[in-house]
Amino acid sequence: MDWQGQKRAEILMQIMLVVSAVAAFGVGYTIGSFRTMMLAYAGGVVLTTLITVPNWPFFNRHPLKWLDPSEAERHPKPHVNSAAASSKKKAAKHK
Amino acid sequence: MHSFGYRLNTVLTFALLLLAVLCGAASFLDAFNSPLSASSSYVQANAQVVKVNRFRRQLNGADEVSLTFNVSLDMKRLFTWNTKQVFVFLAAEYETPKNALNQISLWDHIILDKDQAMFQTKVTTKYPLIDQGSNLRGRKVDLILHWHVMPKTGRMIRDKLRLSDFHLPEAYT
Repeated sequence: MDWQGQKRAEILMQIMLVVSAVAAFGVGYTIGSFRTMMLAYAGGVVLTTLITVPNWPFFNRHPLKWLDPSEAERHPKPHVNSAAASSKKKAAKHK
Repeated sequence: MHSFGYRLNTVLTFALLLLAVLCGAASFLDAFNSPLSASSSYVQANAQVVKVNRFRRQLNGADEVSLTFNVSLDMKRLFTWNTKQVFVFLAAEYETPKNALNQISLWDHIILDKDQAMFQTKVTTKYPLIDQGSNLRGRKVDLILHWHVMPKTGRMIRDKLRLSDFHLPEAYT
């Protein structure tokens, strides 16, 4: 799942759960059946789980664009001199 | 949200939180159904003693009474969508020199369904009325109907209603 997909999955999950809870309460209260409310909500939760938990192709539409290897070679990583860094730290401590 | 397990965990946690909210809302609405101040308009009930079956003094000196009475109940309005059952019991209450309030359950019943919440029946005491001593001759006894509304979720509501009174006979049978 790519970054956009993760965001989409989370928002979708929250909206679907809240909507199914509200709908279940409304239906249960109008019919006057606690059992109906519980079943409707359970249905909503199962549906949400099926839609947002597996890694559907729907969540992979924005793949990360990595740099081309040749591009990376042209701009080499700056080499960190570890010895110089540690002596700097020591100097700072002595102050 | 990067892996299957994390998403499953998030969905289940949020679903449980909302379930708790639903249950809370259901029991909150119940509070508007049967306000304690208006119980008499929510429950129609009557109980009259028909006959004193047995009135004797036990060997240990305690008075014992067995009664027959008519009970009619209409508790339909106590039932909401969040009501699991209503426990109802008829208590005899009287005052003696020793105790300011004696409270003895004579008969009880569990109403499971709204359709069974209205009935009329003739019953004998399920549990004998036994006094702590020998104070029952000629005693005025009140019949009080108590009920506990047991919800599916939330708080149990208890209430009572005074139905009638009667005087026990002056002599043992």
